[in-house]
Amino acid sequence: MTQASDSMAQGAATDRPVANAAAARRRGSFVERNRGPLLVTPALVTLFVMNIFPLMWSFGLSFYDYRLTRQDLPRFVGLDNYARMLADPSIWESLQTTALIVAGSVGLQMILGFFMAMLFQPIFPGRRILLMLVLAPMMLSYVAVGVFFKLFYNPNFGLISKLIEVFQGTPPNILGDPVGAVLGIIFADAWMWSPFVMLLVLAGLVSVPKYLYEASQIDRATPWRRFWTITFPYVRSLLLLALLFRTIETFKLFDTVYIITEGGPGTATKVIVQYLYRVSFQDFRTGESSAIAYVILFIVIVLTNLYLFMVKRREQEQ
Amino acid sequence: MSDIKLVDLTKRFGELAAVSKANIEVAAGEVLCLLGPSGCGKTTTLRMIAGLESVTEGDVWIAGKRVNDLSPAQRNIAMVFQFYALYPSLTVAENLAYPLHAERLPPAEIKARVDRVARVLQLESVMDRIPGRLAEGEKQRVAVGRAIVRDPTCFLFDEPLSRLDVALRQQMRGQIKEVLSGLDKATVIVTHDQIEALTMADRIAVMRDGIVEQVDTPHGIFARPANLFVAGFIGTPQMNLLPARLIHYADGLGRFAVMGQELTVPVDPAVGRLNGTGAVTLGIRPRGFEPVAAEGADTLKAVIDIIEPMGAETLVHAVESGTDLRVVFDHLVPVAPGEPIRVRIRPGQLHVFDEKGTRVHSA
Amino acid sequence: MAQRRAIGHAGWGRTIAAAIVAAIYFLPVLIIIMYAFQGRNDILSISARSLGDYLESIFSFTPTLSNFENVFFRANIIQAGEGAAQATETDFPLYFLNSVGIAGISVILALVIGTLAAYGFARFPLRGNDTYMFIILTTRMLPPIVVTIPIFIMFQVTGLAGEYPGIIALYTAFNLAFTVWMMKSFFEELSPDVEDAARMDGSSETRVFFKICLPQVKAGMAATAVFGLILTWNELFFALLLTSNETRTIPPAMVRTLGGEVGADYGLLAAIVTLFLVPVLVVTFVLQNQLLRGVTFGTIKK
Repeated sequence: MTQASDSMAQGAATDRPVANAAAARRRGSFVERNRGPLLVTPALVTLFVMNIFPLMWSFGLSFYDYRLTRQDLPRFVGLDNYARMLADPSIWESLQTTALIVAGSVGLQMILGFFMAMLFQPIFPGRRILLMLVLAPMMLSYVAVGVFFKLFYNPNFGLISKLIEVFQGTPPNILGDPVGAVLGIIFADAWMWSPFVMLLVLAGLVSVPKYLYEASQIDRATPWRRFWTITFPYVRSLLLLALLFRTIETFKLFDTVYIITEGGPGTATKVIVQYLYRVSFQDFRTGESSAIAYVILFIVIVLTNLYLFMVKRREQEQ
Repeated sequence: MSDIKLVDLTKRFGELAAVSKANIEVAAGEVLCLLGPSGCGKTTTLRMIAGLESVTEGDVWIAGKRVNDLSPAQRNIAMVFQFYALYPSLTVAENLAYPLHAERLPPAEIKARVDRVARVLQLESVMDRIPGRLAEGEKQRVAVGRAIVRDPTCFLFDEPLSRLDVALRQQMRGQIKEVLSGLDKATVIVTHDQIEALTMADRIAVMRDGIVEQVDTPHGIFARPANLFVAGFIGTPQMNLLPARLIHYADGLGRFAVMGQELTVPVDPAVGRLNGTGAVTLGIRPRGFEPVAAEGADTLKAVIDIIEPMGAETLVHAVESGTDLRVVFDHLVPVAPGEPIRVRIRPGQLHVFDEKGTRVHSA
Repeated sequence: MAQRRAIGHAGWGRTIAAAIVAAIYFLPVLIIIMYAFQGRNDILSISARSLGDYLESIFSFTPTLSNFENVFFRANIIQAGEGAAQATETDFPLYFLNSVGIAGISVILALVIGTLAAYGFARFPLRGNDTYMFIILTTRMLPPIVVTIPIFIMFQVTGLAGEYPGIIALYTAFNLAFTVWMMKSFFEELSPDVEDAARMDGSSETRVFFKICLPQVKAGMAATAVFGLILTWNELFFALLLTSNETRTIPPAMVRTLGGEVGADYGLLAAIVTLFLVPVLVVTFVLQNQLLRGVTFGTIKK
């Protein structure tokens, strides 16, 4: 789109004498001839040095037996690291745990976020300020959520434990129980991020032209029918985007797990990043960790691609 | 009966009166156009009839029932929106069937009705498309089809043709008029386009600043504008509105001082009542002149400033004593900038407006 | 039905419903803010109570500002829980300054480099422009740990580990991806006709950029900087591995205080969170229209 309009502008420019001066100057100056590449070079260099190059290095390392803590030179082992990784049952367990937490948390986020968006769609007194309060969890840091949800889950003086105690009589040891720990992680993450889904759904809801609702009123549609024929089609693409974005983000969940459960009890909440953290910075099996990192990288690339594809499609629809 | 009656209808947004005391009646089978510049309150009036806007004061009557407190759904009306308001995720067929669901008709009946409308509006070939894949004219027809598919008490159109190009607009004007003439419903069309109003309406209500200035037939609005606003708003090129002074009236002849000249012309006897006040405005349409060769008491002279050829006719801008005069001549009349012209007002083409801007005429 | 409202407007009934939901959602945040004003004893004295007593004790206490004083003025205040091999030295005033400095500098660097790049990507697309943008976004979507494994080695080798330049460079890259996407979305909303008109009038490219484009995206730059600051301030992972005692930022410092069962000074932690949360809430309120773009890294405008 921009490419086309830009070349069109330049094409038009050469037709006119006024623009020829500009074109001549462009031809004359090195800077103005290469403005595109020059503008983006500093950013690309920075990203190359801090991200791309390390990733390439890491790709190389994934074929070596290498431990950061040892003085030995890296030893080329071919695909051994990948083979070992695939054979290791604990990585599959980690991926399962991650999938479970992603499904639970993102599912909960979608449901809560959707209903909150419906609640906050119309204009009503105090909407802006209440919206700000609802959005607050999203603006907290993972560390804050981790630290304080750990406290809230504390059997002796935790808000949530106390709440559960009302129903079951005894204070629960949420984080001591494998199921409780998983639910605890899901709950904290869903609380933090359902406002995000709400924000996206709200964007879809406000993009519905008002006259469609008016037309459906005149056409005497029931609220149910109105929702499915008018509202939902406008929200659908954003729901999908929210789902993908949150899936990517929850897939990399680490901070709250690291703080609240450290992957425990046992391996109940050992998500893939937590697992990788252990392999790379506690066991220092650097070569193997690089191999795992590349699997994660691959998954994220696929999801990000899908996400951007949906973003583009939505932009074209509009 | 299917008629619409607005009684002292008023809408205020805070301090601002969008519509003030509108009194309009639309009979069954009649098409009324609300015509006026943007912001004149015509759309607000339509939306109050539809029930999309609450009424501040006054009443809306539809089919003999006061409907102020009824929701749009309860009013049983059909409306065509300016942006068509087609449901983007539904096909043309589903869009056309949409209003019928509330009537709990059997599917076969719905299909029959939709097919009939599709036939009338030549939409059969696009029934399975979604609105995003329709041409502008097709969208417009679907919007009309969705309105006529059921049996409402009245039809409301909000700027129905504003998004079409000129050729399509002309075609749709005829088509809508034809469709409406077969239905015995009261219809209100909002438009800012006077050609649209003049061609489609049985009667026109001209609005300005929330006030209904005049309600009359298209011919009446054009031939007998009630005041300076209507006179200036209707007709292209715009009517000449010349500041003048009434010097004398006697026996159906008025003598005016205008454009630094004296002009003696036959006028409505009611002008006689103005003797004494003096200041008036003379309204003559650019086509209300004829060129004359010789000077006379009933002629005006001016010097040609600009010429705009319009094909069969030529629009001449002439100036005299600081006042502009627009005159339309047949294209065969030779004209050139800088040359003097001399014109006579054709019989019945002179309108006299008093100081308040109201047209002076005997009842 | 006498009082019908226009579509899209709800009344006080909706306010009440929304207020209830907002209260439930905000309660944990409110409790954190309350903790910030409580002495250590108040927080820990609430064990073994019923929920009612518990909530009452959270909201009824003698407010104190000692937690905030500790953040800013007192170093070495926390020892690790009993049983820890050595006392953990903490110096929150220093960490606070570190966080401010590191986040501030990296955000400004990223904003300068990123705005230029965003302008380039938006206005003078290269061959493979979309691919570049995709790669840039991917670097942001990756879990930090994927990059950290080789970075860790790189920093060990170059001696950048635990030093300010290292973490600042890393955060600059971290913010850069976000900044490029955000700023590109702002530049794309400008009409290129204005720039072309300026070129026709003989403006140099530098002039077009500084006098025509930048002034139009000022608000966008501010929003980008604010969201960048929030992201950087909250970043834990890189900081955990790549800062030392001297360069440590707030998030890893907070995590380190979570020693034993009751070892953490929750009042102090709450004060830190509150200090940052209040400006963030103000930002949320002021930048409500840019919020969506901010939290989706500029991929969704509206």
